[in-house]
Amino acid sequence: MSIRSYGPKLLALGVLLALGATELQAQAQIISLAAVTLGNLAVTIQSGGVQAIPGIVDNAVNNFPSPVVILTDWNVNPGQTNTVNLVAYFSLPAQAMVGGSTQIPSSRVLGRVTTGLPTTFTAMTQNGIGGVGTAGGSLSLFAVTISGANKNDSRTDNLDLQLNLVGFPTLAAGAYVGVLNIRAVTQ
Amino acid sequence: MHFRWNNALLGATALLLVGVSNARAQVGLTSNVATVALTATKAATLSVTPTSAVATLASITDGSNANVFTPVSLTTAWNLTAGSSVRMVGWFGTPAQALANGTDFIPSSKVEGRVNAVAYAPFTGAPVGAVGVAGGSLQLFSQAVGAGTYFGTRTDVLNLRLDLTGTTTMAGDYTGTLNLQAIVQ
Repeated sequence: MSIRSYGPKLLALGVLLALGATELQAQAQIISLAAVTLGNLAVTIQSGGVQAIPGIVDNAVNNFPSPVVILTDWNVNPGQTNTVNLVAYFSLPAQAMVGGSTQIPSSRVLGRVTTGLPTTFTAMTQNGIGGVGTAGGSLSLFAVTISGANKNDSRTDNLDLQLNLVGFPTLAAGAYVGVLNIRAVTQ
Repeated sequence: MHFRWNNALLGATALLLVGVSNARAQVGLTSNVATVALTATKAATLSVTPTSAVATLASITDGSNANVFTPVSLTTAWNLTAGSSVRMVGWFGTPAQALANGTDFIPSSKVEGRVNAVAYAPFTGAPVGAVGVAGGSLQLFSQAVGAGTYFGTRTDVLNLRLDLTGTTTMAGDYTGTLNLQAIVQ
């Protein structure tokens, strides 16, 4: 097999191409490639996940015994994420804590994160953020601006909680229970 | 050439769509929901509060039961989680010496009490539960409680008198201490 044996064929092909024989051209196909690393956002209660006040005092501010230690870690794209927000909320603000037929609203539950946004005790009466939380039953705990430097990062915060019964009707004896939800969301 | 432009346009559109979908993917990204369980407990309470810590009888009349002390108003408050009754008990620590004037004594059997104008009765009963002294106690009332009434209060007027019928006392001041305590049963 030498180039001479292909000579006529190559010559014919060259002629066809030179004459604009487009019927022999294949269409150029473009394949777009995209590989996406999904963002990661997680909240972990490191301690203080169970809080109990053994003896409520009426018409007084009652402190929950220990802080809720919250670890928030994230791995997000700084070009697609402005902030990471942590929100605490009650599902039913009017019934944050319930005992028998008595309901303690979220306005009576206060939170503080000295390393976050509510640096002083603030009632859980805010609205949700980015679809996380409930209207009138939420509290924004922190908002971190995301950049290239902290796109993959974490932080630990202490959430202090209080039950403010000043001016609240005297409670019937018994246990009052509730669940505080904590969730992070990007904006 | 026409085909090339079409293909290029399609490719660029695809890239744009992929990019937009990625951008949207991390706005509103949410974490798991962590929870904190909250419990606050209100302890049961039971209290008795007299309006006055002193009841006086200016002058004793021997041989009579018309020896009535100044009335005392009592407020009883309860906040309970269980029980069927709140009972008020009055009692003397030493029944034989309910009131004393030196070595002269008036026993609890000669001291009578009542609330809310029922009949007088002497302090000679048994303790109620662990409250009271044998032979020196008197249950002043029993208030039924239950679901819906575990949280309540009542105010009563306690009347006290000395029934000295058939008795002569030595002149002097007789003093004593009546204990009042409520109990849930």
